[in-house]
Amino acid sequence: MIEVEALTKKYGAFTAVRSLTFSVKPGEVLGLVGPNGAGKTSTLRCLAGIIPATAGTVRIAGHDLSAEPVEAKRALAFFPDEPRLFEYLTVRQHLTFVARIYGVADYEALATPLLEELELAEKADVLPGELSRGMKQKLVIACGLLHSPKVMFFDEPLTGLDPLGIRRMKDSIVRRARGGAAIVLSSHLLHLLEEVCTNVLILKRGDKVADGTLADVAAQFSNGEPDVSLEEVFIRATGGSEG
Amino acid sequence: MTGALLYLRLTSLRNLVAYRLGRLRQPKYLLGAVFAVAYFYYFVIRRFGAARGAVALAGAGGPSAGMLAASAICAMLCLVAVVRIAYAWIWPPEKPGLAFTEAEIAFLFPAPVTRKALIHYRLLSAQFAILFSAVLITVAFNRSGFLGGHRALHAVGWWIMLSTIDLHLNGTNLSLGRLRETSAHFRLWRLAGVAVIAAYAVAVYLSVAGPVEAFLSDSGSRGGLDGLSGALRGATAAYWLTLPFRIVLGPYLATTYREFAVAIGPALIVLAAHYWWVSTTQARFEEGSIAIAERRAAMRSAAQRGEVLKLGRKPKALPGPFPLPPRGLPEIAFLWKNLLSLRSSLFSRRALFVVLGIGAWAYFGLGPLMRVRSGDALGFVVLMFCAIIAGYTLILGPQIARQDLRSDLPNADLLKTYPMEGWRLALGELLAPTTILTVILWATILAAAATYDSAGRVEWLTAGVRATVAGCLALAAPMMCLIQLIVPNTVMVLMPAWYQSSRTRGGGIEMFGQRLMFGIVQLLFALLVAVPAAGVAVLVYIASFWVLGISTGVVLATVAVVFILAAEAAVGLWFLGGRFERFDLSLENR
Repeated sequence: MIEVEALTKKYGAFTAVRSLTFSVKPGEVLGLVGPNGAGKTSTLRCLAGIIPATAGTVRIAGHDLSAEPVEAKRALAFFPDEPRLFEYLTVRQHLTFVARIYGVADYEALATPLLEELELAEKADVLPGELSRGMKQKLVIACGLLHSPKVMFFDEPLTGLDPLGIRRMKDSIVRRARGGAAIVLSSHLLHLLEEVCTNVLILKRGDKVADGTLADVAAQFSNGEPDVSLEEVFIRATGGSEG
Repeated sequence: MTGALLYLRLTSLRNLVAYRLGRLRQPKYLLGAVFAVAYFYYFVIRRFGAARGAVALAGAGGPSAGMLAASAICAMLCLVAVVRIAYAWIWPPEKPGLAFTEAEIAFLFPAPVTRKALIHYRLLSAQFAILFSAVLITVAFNRSGFLGGHRALHAVGWWIMLSTIDLHLNGTNLSLGRLRETSAHFRLWRLAGVAVIAAYAVAVYLSVAGPVEAFLSDSGSRGGLDGLSGALRGATAAYWLTLPFRIVLGPYLATTYREFAVAIGPALIVLAAHYWWVSTTQARFEEGSIAIAERRAAMRSAAQRGEVLKLGRKPKALPGPFPLPPRGLPEIAFLWKNLLSLRSSLFSRRALFVVLGIGAWAYFGLGPLMRVRSGDALGFVVLMFCAIIAGYTLILGPQIARQDLRSDLPNADLLKTYPMEGWRLALGELLAPTTILTVILWATILAAAATYDSAGRVEWLTAGVRATVAGCLALAAPMMCLIQLIVPNTVMVLMPAWYQSSRTRGGGIEMFGQRLMFGIVQLLFALLVAVPAAGVAVLVYIASFWVLGISTGVVLATVAVVFILAAEAAVGLWFLGGRFERFDLSLENR
């Protein structure tokens, strides 16, 4: 579903991501981890088509992101860490707008349960300025899920959510993966990754340090010790310092 | 305590000046400053300085255009001040407040500082800006050039006017806040206040309208400003009704030291009375001040993020401008969204005030003129007026109507995940402002075509030809607007750092220069795209009108113009869309 080959992203002379290759199959949740400045956000933004890769290929649902960007983007949803919303559109109007952009014919039938699931039904006619940060985050999620994407990218998805919201978000990610979506999520919250991810990819200074199932990566850095936590794996893999 | 507050203010001012000078090391600020200084020198100081030389001629031939322009601008500023004061009385804030910064509130409000000291600090802070403004306005308008008098006296006059207005606004704010706190019948009081203001406005109009109309209808009324002021002096009711304003204006209007000496006393008494009013009004301003500071901080950070500056009010949820079915061109979704945001901006109290102000100006200002001028002269005035509005709409409109990529800059990441080609996204974003500007242009074309009739003097300009020309201009208008809007959006995508800095609120003369540069780029581009279209239009017209007649020639020329403009717009959209696809705002912030 997501195939990345030799992805490289440079900002001038600085290389943020260096020749990254990995894939995420339907039903898999890949956790993208690394210290600050490791290249996680650059990777996610390249995968979502927000910024062009300097080199390499990204295929989303079979479509080359650089050659067929529209088809590829139709299959994906990107959830940024900071909820960005249109100030003058109510919650419901956001969904109307997004439905038109993605051509979701029966969006009203989808929107109602989605708003209820995300506890936004009572706020359907209010503007983003009247929503808490967590509510805004939920609205971003509702907009992203409206067109039933096959591929999802989450950048720090739990930021600003209350404990119940965190629980629901984790459940939602797992449920979408079980429904056949391929998901990549970037987070510093390693316990989140342990709970919801099937695979993990560790980056350091733009390079891939480890990639595989949680068990495989844990085994790679466990030095023979049993039950090594992802936190310990992360520290051993990256040296614990900034990227 | 006063010493500490003075230290804070002076040190902040010194550091601000040092910061502003320091950033001139960056080319974008240096260039902006050079542009602004050159502009002020050549177009304001030198121009109005030239009006000074015209004083000698004024006695013989009446006031020069420069003098009239300067006096018209001064009159407009006075009108703005009056409207601002009326606004403060009619719509006071929910809670009275004074303009402190968030840092000032954090440090000064919990500090052992008396309420009076805080008010003094606020008034002192305002004085720095007022003194600077007084000097700047004196230099810019050079009133000495057209009414005589010494510049230093005029600067004092401006200082008295601005200080009195500032104190009056604060006094209104605090008094009405106090009234709201203490009176159970605040609504009734407010209603009575509005009624008094309305009655006052009507009384002033009635007392002034007669003499002005008599002056305008008098065939010998070529005495310029002197004749008009003579006519006004004869109106006794107007004399007394406008007395408070004339006392404040007295030092500014004085042309000799003697007149100034006579005028300054009453003006200072009014100023002192205002000071006493503000410093003794026992209103709780703390909560309101915090709200003002938070709102200002939010506006500043919004501007720094590249978001549209808000006027400090909460937007209201509105229904969509039209039903948006889920299927169809995605560009229409952007039109729908951006029109929705425009409606939220339009339906504001301040917008209502602006519309009422323009309406009042048109009625009271143009009304007498229309009554005394007749026939084609009126049509010509309307034509000129429409041409000016249309010109401003095309040149300045794109800088003001920003419901496009510019207002969506913070959402750039989100927009780029949408399954749309860049050019389609750009087109969608530009549809709303294009629609707005086109509607304004159409209104001016319609007004001009409906009122201008010179068939008596120009034989070929028949009603049919006028209708054809108007229709053709209306056809070309959307393309011109679209192209004009592509320019600032492309500038934003190509030079986001420059664009962002030019949008930041305030910022000194160099920021003004940057905005000026963008305006010049806009104007040059308008000329650049118009030249090929106009050239081809002339050729097509010349080739066709001998055989097919004027109307057909105009239609064929318009078809050629629209075709060329459409091609230019397509190239522009393709370029803008491509650049936007590669645009990375985060890169600019590195």
